[in-house]
Amino acid sequence: MVKNIILISAAAMTFVLSGCSSKEPLYNYGDYSQEYYNYKKNMSPETQLELQKAIEQAIEDADDGSSDRVAPGMYANLGYIYLKTGNTKMAKQNFIKEKTLYPEATHFMDRLIQKIDALEGDTDEK
Amino acid sequence: MKSKILLLLTSLASLLVLSGCGPAMVTKGTAFPKMYEEQPRSILILPPMNNSTDAQAKDYYMTTVEMPFALMGYYTFPTEMVSDIMKQEGVYDTEILYNMPLSKFKEYFGADTVLFTTINKWDVSYAVIASSLTVSISSKIVSTTTNEVLWRYTGTVVVDLSGGNSGGSLAGLLVKAIATAINTAAADYVKYAKVANARLIYTLPAGPYSPMYMKDQDIELVQQGKRH
Repeated sequence: MVKNIILISAAAMTFVLSGCSSKEPLYNYGDYSQEYYNYKKNMSPETQLELQKAIEQAIEDADDGSSDRVAPGMYANLGYIYLKTGNTKMAKQNFIKEKTLYPEATHFMDRLIQKIDALEGDTDEK
Repeated sequence: MKSKILLLLTSLASLLVLSGCGPAMVTKGTAFPKMYEEQPRSILILPPMNNSTDAQAKDYYMTTVEMPFALMGYYTFPTEMVSDIMKQEGVYDTEILYNMPLSKFKEYFGADTVLFTTINKWDVSYAVIASSLTVSISSKIVSTTTNEVLWRYTGTVVVDLSGGNSGGSLAGLLVKAIATAINTAAADYVKYAKVANARLIYTLPAGPYSPMYMKDQDIELVQQGKRH
């Protein structure tokens, strides 16, 4: 009985508190921050892969957010994981997607793409 | 008898929470006119200075802070990439990062603004029914063009660890409440950190990707304490 009352009032409070944020958020992040945190705690190929999966899933489910748009930084983060695993082609593709969707990132993404091109230029010459 | 007392206590608690909206009010437009004048589109989030006793606070903060600022309508630079790149450039220390000329962030990342944060407190208190996370933080958004402070926040939020998410059914909430009270797994703190971060930035004017962009000047906020 006592337990029930506590639970109901706790639930009521939660409802009251959440009343301010009932609108659907602008973007869908899925499990991104949880996996990002796990990765930061324990940087390994496994946690990196989990993070990659979370990002890919969040991108796939972008229409769960009210804007239907992929959240800022998602393509950039995905490209960065590709870069770290040596897939420069996919890295560049994602950096281009990031700046196409968010022109605010153009300067930063171009800088990264230039770096990749410079590195690849070096290996081509060999 | 016991149940009556508990009921009273919880209603008192909710009253206290609700009455938080009482004090002096100010509009977003009056509080942060420079945000509306300069209309920045992007925010570069720097790692926080951590003055709290919780060594992990920095990671909790960094892995959850992008989201609320992006959800407010700003372009947020990916924190992981930014901090890796700063390290590649030889900047490991947050203090050094905080003393760099702001124009550097514009030059390197093309960022309109930079977010500086100091975590003063990050405490989790455990109790059977009402575990809570207390976060005390000072943040400011500074323009990389004019070096002016466009927005600042100083305050404390207490997150009730039994009510992290607004979604879910009543049954779901009940289950969550029980689960939290009995055993709060470390992994859940990411969720609570997210809630804390979201509460901290409610005073921020909406950014260009928000439907509220340049329409929220008249929204009233609780006036923050006098500042210098």
